[in-house]
Amino acid sequence: MRTQLIRCIALLLGVAATAANAQQLGPVDGDAIAGAQLYYDHGCYACHGFSGYGRKDLNNTGSPWLANEEIFRAFLRFRNDVAPLLPATDMPNYPANALNDAMVSDIYAYVRSMPDNRPETADVPTLRTILEAAEQRQYKP
Amino acid sequence: MSNDHPDQPKTPVVPETVPNAGRRGFLKGAATGAAALAVSPVAKAQQPSSYQASFTAPSYQQIQRDTGLVEPPTEDRSVVRPGSDLMVQALKDMGIEFVASNNGSSFEGIQESIANYGTPPNHMPEYITALHEESSVDMANGYAKAEGKPMAAMLHGTLGIQHASMAIFQAYNTGTPMILIVGRDEGFIQAHTANDMVGMIRSFTKWDSHPKTLPGCIDALHEAYRQAVTPPTGPTVIVIDMELQKEEARDFQVPPFRPAKIGGVDNATARDIARALFNANNPRLKTGMFRTPDGVQAAVQLAELIGASASTTAMGGPMGFPQRHPLCGPGADTSYDYELGLESGSANISLRRPGITSLTAERDVMGIGFGSLRADYVAAPPGSEPTPGSQNQQQNRGTVLTVDAEASIPLIIAELSKLVTPAKQAEIERRNARHASANREDFLTNLRAAVEEKKKGWDLSPVSTARLYAELWPLIMNEDWCLASPSNFSGAHHRELWEHNKPYSFLGGQGAGGMGYGLGASTGAALAARGRGRFVVNVQCDGDLNYAPGALWTACHHDLPMLSVMHNNRAWHQEFMFIQYLAGVRGRGTDRGHIGTVLRDPFIDYAKMAQSYGMQSEGPIEDPNLLAAALERGVESVKNGKPYLIDVITQPR
Ligand SMILES: Cc1ncc(C[n+]2csc(CCOP(=O)(O)OP(=O)(O)O)c2C)c(N)n1
Ligand SMILES: [Mg+2]
Repeated sequence: MRTQLIRCIALLLGVAATAANAQQLGPVDGDAIAGAQLYYDHGCYACHGFSGYGRKDLNNTGSPWLANEEIFRAFLRFRNDVAPLLPATDMPNYPANALNDAMVSDIYAYVRSMPDNRPETADVPTLRTILEAAEQRQYKP
Repeated sequence: MSNDHPDQPKTPVVPETVPNAGRRGFLKGAATGAAALAVSPVAKAQQPSSYQASFTAPSYQQIQRDTGLVEPPTEDRSVVRPGSDLMVQALKDMGIEFVASNNGSSFEGIQESIANYGTPPNHMPEYITALHEESSVDMANGYAKAEGKPMAAMLHGTLGIQHASMAIFQAYNTGTPMILIVGRDEGFIQAHTANDMVGMIRSFTKWDSHPKTLPGCIDALHEAYRQAVTPPTGPTVIVIDMELQKEEARDFQVPPFRPAKIGGVDNATARDIARALFNANNPRLKTGMFRTPDGVQAAVQLAELIGASASTTAMGGPMGFPQRHPLCGPGADTSYDYELGLESGSANISLRRPGITSLTAERDVMGIGFGSLRADYVAAPPGSEPTPGSQNQQQNRGTVLTVDAEASIPLIIAELSKLVTPAKQAEIERRNARHASANREDFLTNLRAAVEEKKKGWDLSPVSTARLYAELWPLIMNEDWCLASPSNFSGAHHRELWEHNKPYSFLGGQGAGGMGYGLGASTGAALAARGRGRFVVNVQCDGDLNYAPGALWTACHHDLPMLSVMHNNRAWHQEFMFIQYLAGVRGRGTDRGHIGTVLRDPFIDYAKMAQSYGMQSEGPIEDPNLLAAALERGVESVKNGKPYLIDVITQPR
């Protein structure tokens, strides 16, 4: 019952969030430096990398869940709260007793501050070599 | 029983047949070894002392010998042709290159023969000094995955078996052929001996034997090899008593080794398949992992002969169709009108060799099941790395014939060759050319997309796992390399960035997800590489390294070309994520998820660890811009036959 309710809320939030596009990101109120420490202490890096690149990227992904702080907070609060049978590595749930609103605000600020790091392929010799070599190489048994 | 006085009359405890030894296997052994089982007079004379129960605590002298500086007894038989010399000869005849082992008195006869048999003294099999039995067996695993043939590992009694057991378990799961020799010395420390030595590991070995005579032992060694390489392939075990190792062989000659005969499809089926391939406008080969490099070569030959495009599993494990062969890829047209599965399911007809699950009814006394407990289970290709989510989920469609593809392809080729006319030949060549350009385009398109994806976080510290693989590739692409470590925890970026063209390009996963496998398996693959102008790349997880790091020393001691590049995320990161998730699900926050799951306070210095074992090393490297030069030094070192380790601090995934 409760799960269903949460799913509904999540769905509604999802719809709201999709409406908000990258240009309409909400304001950042928290402290990004404090957020960085919280991001480390609470092990967010486990899946999102030390700088936002990981199993699930955070850097300017245009994710609707990052559109504004309210949506982000709701996302943290309403995530999987039913113990599954098998271990998973999905996003955990963060009730207020685990991350209070001020902490969420700081983490949000940190996530929003994450740098984009996708250099131009042409500027990276290693990547250029990989592409050029693949074009030139002939298969040899 | 256990309180028997040593002076009391003893009951013989070695049964005539090994209990639960696997009926089929035993009978087969019995059939081939009937003559050998006739006990020689010498062996008979020696039996009473060795084949009796003595359930006593180790004597003072016994313990002194294993723990102190006591000399071996001087009244030992002095023999001219010790039985163990003949055992070594048998291993030689079978082409066993290496015996990896951590020393133990229960096989001292064989060990001494490996060192001294022959004039000049023996070089093959070479004794590979392992620091842990788990490493010995992992080495055998890595070697066999790379070469498609077994080497041997030698284990000291009950103790060696227990140390080796997880590695054996994993080899069994991937159907890796290997010969496990277990030394047994009943007259020595009782705790190292058991009546049924193999009992502890029978559920996850293919075949075992405990021969009673020297001729029977030679015969059993031969059979152990044949059993190991015959599908379902897997580890086989032979228990060799000290008495046989030390027995005077007199004029007994080692009989010639008869290799295994592995059958393929019957002629009628081969003809049907050939005709179907011939009549198809767009035939397709769905290929999996073959048994040996010969299977790979045969599949290539078949594809070229009929102009079929082919899928590959080479990015997931060994013995796959070469990834950049012009016919490898989706081909010019993906509406295939006839699909032939070769060690792969879901085709019009699939030829798949039997897997280990076919043995469970017979030998799986522990009821492990190996997936066969699930009705819809289809074993993953041997040696393949599990894909999260899809593991054990595949289902077969079409007709599946349980038969070895490798042995079948030559029969299909023979039939096909009879059908191909010059007109058809011209059509096939046109098809080949169309496939080649389509597959090339497909590869390059995927590569460009992969590069865009992999460059994320390129300049950030710690080093992204994608950059680690990307920086390695230009340095090795023109060399003969083998990626021997599992790669799923380090992002498996080689799958999209590298080209897997050799049967040994990538050796796949652990087998059963057991940690501690990567280093040992890489060391074994490096044994195979050493004499073949090849080198091994080992992307080494930090958690995995700490189970049995002694193989670092083995790599140095035996000059093995192995480049270890650490994926050092300073954690058992997989478990960290599990704990975090559960803490989150329970609503208790993730700020204590690191308890028991991270390797910090203090950090481990892997460069120093490697140095302490005698290996050249550098790191820790956190700045990604320093990585390429370090890798270059590493590649240079291993090309000169010297192992090298680079500690790289990486992003967690
Ligand atoms: C022998 C064994 N013990 C424990 C486990 C449980 N386990 C699964 S993954 C893992 C962590 C592996 O750490 P590491 O090799 O450093 O890889 P990472 O996840 O950090 O990339 C552990 C301990 C296992 N699979 N095998
Ligand atoms: Mg780790």
